[in-house]
Amino acid sequence: MTSRVRPKRPIPNTAVQLTESAVEHVREFADVEGKPDANLRVAVKGGGCSGLTYVLELVEEEAREDEKVVEEHGLKVFIPKRSFVFLAGTTLEYSGGLNGKGFVFHNPNARTTCGCGTSFSV
Amino acid sequence: MANPAAAPAADAPHLEGLPRRYTSVREEFDALLRGVGLVDRSPMGRLRFDGADAQDLLDRLSTNDLSAMTPGDAVHTVLTSNKGRIIDLLLVLKHEDHLAVVTGPRRVEPVTEHVDFFNFGEDVEITDRSEDTAMLGLSGPGTRELLAAAVGPDVWPGEPGSFAEASIAGTRALLIRTDFLRQPGVDLMVNAVHQDTLRQRLLDAGATAVGAEALEAARILSGVPASGSELSEDRNPHEAGLADYLSFTKGCYVGQEVVVRLHTYDKVQRYLSTLAWEPADAVGAGVSLFADGKRVGEVTSAAVDVGSGAGIGLGYVRKAHADPGALLAAGSPEGTAQVRVTEPPVTR
Repeated sequence: MTSRVRPKRPIPNTAVQLTESAVEHVREFADVEGKPDANLRVAVKGGGCSGLTYVLELVEEEAREDEKVVEEHGLKVFIPKRSFVFLAGTTLEYSGGLNGKGFVFHNPNARTTCGCGTSFSV
Repeated sequence: MANPAAAPAADAPHLEGLPRRYTSVREEFDALLRGVGLVDRSPMGRLRFDGADAQDLLDRLSTNDLSAMTPGDAVHTVLTSNKGRIIDLLLVLKHEDHLAVVTGPRRVEPVTEHVDFFNFGEDVEITDRSEDTAMLGLSGPGTRELLAAAVGPDVWPGEPGSFAEASIAGTRALLIRTDFLRQPGVDLMVNAVHQDTLRQRLLDAGATAVGAEALEAARILSGVPASGSELSEDRNPHEAGLADYLSFTKGCYVGQEVVVRLHTYDKVQRYLSTLAWEPADAVGAGVSLFADGKRVGEVTSAAVDVGSGAGIGLGYVRKAHADPGALLAAGSPEGTAQVRVTEPPVTR
């Protein structure tokens, strides 16, 4: 009998990446909210069905001392260091259309995710 | 004859420090049923939550809707794991500038650790107040009259789910309407240095001090689960009879998907059940229950019904065998004793 073992996926030592489409939609929402020059904070907080839930926030001020800053397609992205360990290697994309889910996180650290995809456990 | 099998477990967390009885078990039990019993509830943990995010964080981690709480509200909620299992049953009190949280006995540490784990730099500070405060419970149909006599006519906290502050014997006390034995009941929380004064005043007004045996019998007959015996991370809120503390409209919280799915698809496997047997010493906590040759449950708490002398207990029984009147074999498939499922005091 043979069994197929899926190799463990190494957690990339990279920050959060955003697809071009995701950045475009962040800009669009920033315009709607009257904050055209806003940056994006991507974080994790306790809650959601699976224990940890994603937070996206438009911020007009500079990054805090405890935040990593990356630039994706011209958008500054702030990631609190306490959230970074749960987000490293995550890609944020935007799923549009009538049946689209909006912003979708592809997080290699997530062991389980809830049905709606907004929360996860590690 | 002594019946150690059905005696309250000496190491049960909620009975810690209580004598088995003060005077007579019957007198103490009668006070809970027909008068007013005074119960030392200090083994329960007491925490203070400060910070702008405290209410929101607790709301995201537990089953009941805490988002709309206003000062004076007291809400029970279940802290659940991401698998929908019970970390602890909490009572949350909303003050103007902070929350007071009552945990189960010996549950301060796991509750604090659980909340801290999910706190990613939010404005929440938790202080353990268990040592410097005390909690005394009054339970029984005469509770309101006794409080009026002991403290004054205007101190009643109101309906279940509310609390009030009062000055008693020169000290500030919180009066919380908890109905902790499913009878009119109030928990009084005071600074620990004043507990002896308060206790004496309540006794002078006619309350009867209740020890472990009478308290455990009343708790079991009322179907009230206790931390460690009935509430643990092996159980979910549905099977533990905590459905009244679940909100199905509040949105996401940790464990919500599992808790809701159990309800929606009728997947609850077993129910906390009230049980009875004779003779009283035939069955104790930890004994397995059988039906049709298969194990279908277990006894989690046992005591003697002070009125009838029969054995009474709480236990988890598989749904198919948990209807009132069902007869189960205790101890082995053949059964060393017969256990009857009795009418549940709460709706499932």
